[in-house]
Amino acid sequence: MSTSLEHVHELEPHIRVGRARAAVIMFILSDALSVLAILAAGGYLNSLNTESQFKVAGDHPPAFLPGLLVAIALVLSGLSYYWWERRARENEGTGQAAFFIVALVFVFLALVGQIWVNMSLGYTTTPFHAYESVLMLITWFTWVHFLLLTIIGLLLLGRVLRGRLAGHGYIAEVTGYWWYYTVLSSLLLWLFSLVI
Amino acid sequence: MTEKVVTETTTEARRPSLIQNLFPSVLSGIVLGVVGAAIAGVLVNRITTAINPDGVPNDDAVVAAVYTAWVLFFLVGIGAFNDVLKWGFARRDPTPAEELQLAGKGQGLWRYFRWTTDHKVVGMQYLATTLFLFFVGSMGAFMIRLEQSRPGAIFFTPSTYNTIVGMHGIIMIVAAVIMVAGPFGNFVVPIMIGARDMAFPRLNALSYWLLFLDIPIIITTLALGGFQTGWTGYAPLSVQGLTPGMEAYCFFIIIFAISTTVAALNIISTVLVMRTRGMTWGRLPILVWGVLLSVFLSLTAFPTFMMSQTMVVMDRVFQTSFFAASYGGNNWLYEHLFWFFGHPEVYVILLPSLAIAAEVTAVFSRKGIFGRRMLVGSLITISILSVIVWGHHLYFSGSNNALDAPFMLDTELISIPTGFFFLAMIGTFWRGKIWVTVPILFVVGTLVNFVVGGITGIYLADLPTDEILHGGMFVTAHFHFTLVGTAVFGFFAGFYYWFPKMVGKRLDPTLGQLHFWLFEVGFLGTFMSLFYAGLIGEPRWSANIAPPFATPNTIASLFAILIAVSVFVTVYNVIITLRSGEPAVANEWGGKTLEWSVPTPVPLENFEELPVVTSTPYDYGSPEPYPSDVEGTTLEGPLLPQPQPES
Repeated sequence: MSTSLEHVHELEPHIRVGRARAAVIMFILSDALSVLAILAAGGYLNSLNTESQFKVAGDHPPAFLPGLLVAIALVLSGLSYYWWERRARENEGTGQAAFFIVALVFVFLALVGQIWVNMSLGYTTTPFHAYESVLMLITWFTWVHFLLLTIIGLLLLGRVLRGRLAGHGYIAEVTGYWWYYTVLSSLLLWLFSLVI
Repeated sequence: MTEKVVTETTTEARRPSLIQNLFPSVLSGIVLGVVGAAIAGVLVNRITTAINPDGVPNDDAVVAAVYTAWVLFFLVGIGAFNDVLKWGFARRDPTPAEELQLAGKGQGLWRYFRWTTDHKVVGMQYLATTLFLFFVGSMGAFMIRLEQSRPGAIFFTPSTYNTIVGMHGIIMIVAAVIMVAGPFGNFVVPIMIGARDMAFPRLNALSYWLLFLDIPIIITTLALGGFQTGWTGYAPLSVQGLTPGMEAYCFFIIIFAISTTVAALNIISTVLVMRTRGMTWGRLPILVWGVLLSVFLSLTAFPTFMMSQTMVVMDRVFQTSFFAASYGGNNWLYEHLFWFFGHPEVYVILLPSLAIAAEVTAVFSRKGIFGRRMLVGSLITISILSVIVWGHHLYFSGSNNALDAPFMLDTELISIPTGFFFLAMIGTFWRGKIWVTVPILFVVGTLVNFVVGGITGIYLADLPTDEILHGGMFVTAHFHFTLVGTAVFGFFAGFYYWFPKMVGKRLDPTLGQLHFWLFEVGFLGTFMSLFYAGLIGEPRWSANIAPPFATPNTIASLFAILIAVSVFVTVYNVIITLRSGEPAVANEWGGKTLEWSVPTPVPLENFEELPVVTSTPYDYGSPEPYPSDVEGTTLEGPLLPQPQPES
């Protein structure tokens, strides 16, 4: 393979923006189908109630209050991120970083809270029944997504603090897609765990 | 808008030393992966032994921890996370010299063994891996045919035979999924659309190395007792703690799903935003449509597959009960999750191969594709319909019968757009100036085999006939005709077509023809015999052939020898070509798609200047249009030149 071309061609700005939007939207689509698969699995097993063993006496959903606190932290995180993202897009990558840090802190609190919810489920008798299995899957899936969001947030925080978001406001926008999706899908899963 | 060219005195990358070549590279990835996996295994072994009241380790948890650590530490070792950390915390963006080095500039053959972002390198890596997987899968097939050549379990125990069948199936499925989108989707498609690289070069490298590290996972199943479920991994058998080898299957699928998802969003983003000026959707080459639709299907199909395997791992490691009826689970859940992926997945395999067939036919008929828009429409329709037919795999699972009729209707409907594909292909060949080459031979083989595979699919789509045929070798023969006879033949058409561009050398055409004829004759003989075996009642997945089925199986095994010979002919052809093959020219076949307009070998950034596209790439031999107002012309004027009126 010849490498005789010495030039490096920079991508045009509209291509950078377009590819970032396309990729994040495709990733959200893929992950949303995983969420749908979980919801469908829980609903299907509930409706089948095989051998009347889906949910037995003593099976209970996760504690309501901790889940509510996690949900509130998530919503506040989303709102705080939105406030920062709007400024960042208007000002081409510079904005009030404090709101972004607040959003990240709330996500971290939600992560800690969700791990605590998972550990306090109180399911002890193995093999777990299908109801408990579905709730364990939901709580694990949720905190894994919070962990992923925390990691993405930390990476973005690095760029913000280094001043490398300037001129790349689209990064705040597309990260926001994933941020809001995580908030909405986690709320949906939480509500599902309450009603199943 | 013109491209911004970045030139600086330091664009020349320093030639790396041997240590820099080795670290990071696949070698450091393997070393770190093995070390990390060993540490994780020992740790989890001790932890589970300590917390288990019986004082024995949880083998499934240990295996799961080993595989997870292998994946993470391999990626660390190969340098996958270096750029992630730099993206977030570095003080500056990468310089052009660093980007060129990451793309493999000045690294010779080492670039194929390192984290390299150039799409052509990734395409070659995928090609080598695909051929390797086909070789390994073929060896499994020959072992199966050896066992089934005579009645009785001769060479393998039933347990070992089940593992061989399962490994053959899943390895071939994975190879078939990646065989077009991997090599040609990466190497050819960006050039075809007039781009310099994929939208996300680093994600491109990630998708390949995830596949690479996935291969040892499925091979280690042999050391862990194998898996008994066949390639479908059906619960509840898969969640029973028979052997820890089942974890290998589950992790193989989960990692492969992640790799495919990453590749899919990369290809989709590339085609959406990286097309050159003038490359409208109407001018997009058929291969790009085929690959695009295929990866979009995989993006939507693989999540349910991944979730099904996650649930199996949870059942095995953490004692949950998604699929155990005694505790409220149900195996129908697995079947729905699996086949919701499983049926679109066969079209993920098929669509790119059909697109290659159309692409190659136009070139070697020297004609535009007949009904090109109809062909694209048929591919889109097949993609949409493929998502809503999964229930035909559950006709006799015992689940609710109410949906059988709708699924039967949907499945039959797919034959309509498939028919349009055949119409387009025949119309392209019709009155074309056929140039008989190895690629076009494989296209003809594709069409012949697809007729058989497609028609036999009708019988399986219809519930009354499927009641007799399901679970038998008729099904096996049907899906081999579609997946191997159609899709793999399509892959080989593309392989012989693009090999000169990708490698810069010509494959021996005589050996190529020998490969085709041995493969086609051997394939028809093998699987026609198995159709007969299925019609007389032979079940699938049985190591012990009953005497009534001996004759067709012996005939199938004899014909399989021809397939085996064809594999070695191909291997020999590739080896001698790489060693001393004739150099290829830039436009080996006189093709009109953009990849044939660039030099061979292809430069690092593909184009000196990005091309501007003004027409479709299929205007082969278009006659000049006859002016309609010339006296003496008829409605057939352009085809039948009329004498000019005397002045």
